[in-house]
Amino acid sequence: MEQQEEVPPPPAGLGLTAEEYAQVRATVEAHHRYAVGPGQCSSLLAQRIHAPPAAVWAVVRRFDCPQVYKHFIRSCVLRPDPHHDDNGNDLRPGRLREVSVISGLPASTSTERLDLLDDAHRVFGFTITGGEHRLRNYRSVTTVSQLDEICTLVLESYIVDVPDGNTEDDTRLFADTVIRLNLQKLKSVSEANANAAAAAAAPPPPPPAAAE
Amino acid sequence: MAEICCEVVAGSSSEGKGPECDTGSRAARRRRMEIRRLRVVAERGAEEETSGKRRRLDGGGGEASTDEEDREVERARYGFTSVCGRRRDMEDSVSACPGFLPGHHFFGVFDGHGCSHVATSCGQRMHEIVVDEAGAAAGSAGLDEEARWRGVMERSFARMDAEAVASSRGSVAPAPTCRCEMQLPKCDHVGSTAVVAVLGPRHVVVANCGDSRAVLCRGGAAIPLSCDHKPDRPDELERIHAAGGRVIFWDGARVFGMLAMSRAIGDSYLKPYVICDPEVRVMERKDGEDEFLILASDGLWDVVSNEVACNVVRACLRSSGRRERNRSSPTSNLSPRQSSSSGDEAPNDGAPSAAAGSESDEESAAEEDKACAEAAVLLTKLALARQTSDNVSVVVVNLRRRKL
Repeated sequence: MEQQEEVPPPPAGLGLTAEEYAQVRATVEAHHRYAVGPGQCSSLLAQRIHAPPAAVWAVVRRFDCPQVYKHFIRSCVLRPDPHHDDNGNDLRPGRLREVSVISGLPASTSTERLDLLDDAHRVFGFTITGGEHRLRNYRSVTTVSQLDEICTLVLESYIVDVPDGNTEDDTRLFADTVIRLNLQKLKSVSEANANAAAAAAAPPPPPPAAAE
Repeated sequence: MAEICCEVVAGSSSEGKGPECDTGSRAARRRRMEIRRLRVVAERGAEEETSGKRRRLDGGGGEASTDEEDREVERARYGFTSVCGRRRDMEDSVSACPGFLPGHHFFGVFDGHGCSHVATSCGQRMHEIVVDEAGAAAGSAGLDEEARWRGVMERSFARMDAEAVASSRGSVAPAPTCRCEMQLPKCDHVGSTAVVAVLGPRHVVVANCGDSRAVLCRGGAAIPLSCDHKPDRPDELERIHAAGGRVIFWDGARVFGMLAMSRAIGDSYLKPYVICDPEVRVMERKDGEDEFLILASDGLWDVVSNEVACNVVRACLRSSGRRERNRSSPTSNLSPRQSSSSGDEAPNDGAPSAAAGSESDEESAAEEDKACAEAAVLLTKLALARQTSDNVSVVVVNLRRRKL
């Protein structure tokens, strides 16, 4: 029996309590671990969102429309799927999107491939396969986990090459800044959507004469 | 091939945004709109003028007062152009408002990033805000002119930034031409540079925020009136670090590896590291030495040095002077007349002192405007030829005073 096993503390900088981390530890072990080689770096970020997991997942899974919750996107176009002409908007692993980035940033385009879209476990993953930017071999996974009935925890992790001339710290700072901003926007959008849905679903007040 | 359009305006305000081809009717309509806008500004100017005159008569000797009044009717002579270049979108904005305050002219270049709406707002509003703040500061008798203008500009930039940020918070609908999708939350990652010049009878005031630039040509020398706000400028780097920010080299020095300038209007997602405080310089004018002023976005300055730009403009203005002397020749008679007819429509032309002299003066003035516009176009073409990768916006202002 291993009932006395010590609960590991949450990773530093993640901003989670030990209890919260215990709830998502299996998810972290399953989806947010990377074999980081020389010249690579990796990071994991977390965002609490006061909305049901289903509302958050509905936004995260939009591989075709990331600008709903991601900053810095000027436009996004799915490449046509040559194997399934009849269902061009079907999101399946292998689909590619062409992201155009707004001006003023050190990137202009990004070609991204959908790797994972698991609606049952709420796991989303993509790889950057090309484009004009400095993030080579960038691979990312986002998971949506339930903390309680109306609170969701989103974890996003990535692994990427460290570009020539930069340090691991530089690379992590840049990528973490972008992801943190995106997760904050995801929180705003999901909570706004959940509030709108709750308002729409609110039942009309009972007639005053109704007996309990 | 980039489309290039230039604007020559004799004494009326105008704003340039992107490549615009003037067809006759469109030009006429725009001119009427500009005249209408100018009337509003002129009315405000008239109010200022009244109170200004009262102060001057109270304080000054007759001769000095007369001299100042003469100087204050100096007409703006300028030209500008603004082109997309090799960028996918046009996000620059240019503003030119002659006579926006009595005896004062306003010029501004705003290089947007992320989208166009912040730069567009700056082009439309900055000069109005400056008028407002200058009016509020008129009563500060204790301050010298330099301190007063510094305060006006710092408050104006703060107000412009607040308007840009409020717009991104959804209190103002985005411009219809704006490409921003998914308006919730609004765009925090759009911003603009702002380099602004106010040309008065005695001073040139330059306020800068970002990496556009103002350069004065004085006695043949190029004098920068602004210093680019790059994140690796030592004092800017220190300020950013003190605020808890980071600068990394990611295609050049960038705040958090993202923005390549350390100050901007808007960009609320990077505050307090990217601030909107302008650096203000108040330069006393030197008659006989001051030649012209250039305001331009980094699309020009990234590929053309201050000295080269000044040489190009000087050659254009000098060539204009030469053409002036040969006015009798048949070929040169055509364009001066055409420009003059455009100039005649300007409502705030100075009253003619003599019929013959007036005609000659007006032709010469129109020629100078055209030379400024040609200089702006030439600088733009040079930048494009040198493969600039950005929008290019250029304003050229002739500073040589003409005796009245």
